[in-house]
Amino acid sequence: MANAETETGTWDPIRTHGRYLLHFKTHATVLLITIVAEAIGSHAFDLGPGQIVLLPLLYAVVIGILLSYSVLGQYIPSLQEIVSKDVSEISATLLTISLMPLAVKYGTTVGPEFNNLVSAGPAFLLQELGNLGTIFIALPVALILGLKREAIGGGVSIAREATFAVITERYGIESPEGRGVLGVYLTGTVLGTIFFGLIGGLAPITGLDPLALAMACGMGSASMMTACSSSLAGASSSVPADQILAFAATSNLLTGLTGIYVLIFVALPLINWLYSVARPLIGGES
Amino acid sequence: MSVDSPTFESNIAKMLIIISVITVVGNYVGYGISPIEAAPGMLLIAVIGFVSLLLGRHLSLQFPAFAYATIIGFVLSLPFSPVQDIVLSLTDPVQFLATTTPILAYAGLSIGLQVTSMKQMSWKIVVVAICAFTGTFIGSALVAQAILSYQGII
Repeated sequence: MANAETETGTWDPIRTHGRYLLHFKTHATVLLITIVAEAIGSHAFDLGPGQIVLLPLLYAVVIGILLSYSVLGQYIPSLQEIVSKDVSEISATLLTISLMPLAVKYGTTVGPEFNNLVSAGPAFLLQELGNLGTIFIALPVALILGLKREAIGGGVSIAREATFAVITERYGIESPEGRGVLGVYLTGTVLGTIFFGLIGGLAPITGLDPLALAMACGMGSASMMTACSSSLAGASSSVPADQILAFAATSNLLTGLTGIYVLIFVALPLINWLYSVARPLIGGES
Repeated sequence: MSVDSPTFESNIAKMLIIISVITVVGNYVGYGISPIEAAPGMLLIAVIGFVSLLLGRHLSLQFPAFAYATIIGFVLSLPFSPVQDIVLSLTDPVQFLATTTPILAYAGLSIGLQVTSMKQMSWKIVVVAICAFTGTFIGSALVAQAILSYQGII
């Protein structure tokens, strides 16, 4: 899939030759947003068994949306002169590049835990495939709601950073798939910990073993895993809390490592195939 | 108007330098880590990012640059990697969360291009998200239950 045309189109906006002012406007705006977002800092509020966690990245995306030419810029012409449509176009490409530091940090977080991964055994690896359950529930619902290829980006996984990176790099953030993954990503960022905090507390009702539920808590987001396993540990009396937290953390670690390959080699081909089969049946015209 | 190598290379190098500066500033504002302390690690991270973007563009595997960057970071920081200590002591001052803030700032600005279509989706994508979260939890729990009972652990 190294298609030359789309790749050229994808990278074109970052060319600097003769566009220095435009680049300056873009990066100065991002610098300003970053400073404001980091100055506000992280805040967490208890809500029932879960927490609402507000992180700087959340303020950054909200401020970014507000400042863009099609939101506040519509009403404030002088703002639109600085944060123009071209700024939004450059930013879409910059997204792929700005993901690189995060990717490296992911690698250096998982690497030192290598020995733990090996001793965790094959149960953890196979359990990874359970994350495909997302597709079978989210894709039909998305199609019934009338979504089209947004269903692919939104239904393929729980859309944490790695998924977000793969989908936006492959389809582009401005594509329907990109919108889908972004929507689920943002929903997870805002509601993820509270949702999984509730699920973790309620899960023992299913009758499944707390250890199996603990492994299910590790789905690729450290904050969601923490919310899920903490409330699960609080709700289960048959298994020690430490063991539940350890199983959840190990599973989470493995998802961080293998999730991207399951996504690229299994989940994306699977959801694309299911989409082509199911769309004519559920969503009307294909 | 294509971005040909080596123009491509000089452009992404410039962009990585800018992103590194923004990240180090955010790392100072949010986590109080001096830019001088974070700079060497940020440089290493940017170099790995540069190599990964080149690999993503020039190797015709289906791997995105993100995967290369993760793999390089992972391999360098393995317990039996001879450079593990150096890599970790360099990269530790660059906070994980500090790398996410500029990403989402660029993402927010680029969403401006599609605000209209986001409005049409809004509540639907929230429903899809909740289905996705529930699906991954139930799927993983069922598979884990089956394997753990097969192994006799539960």
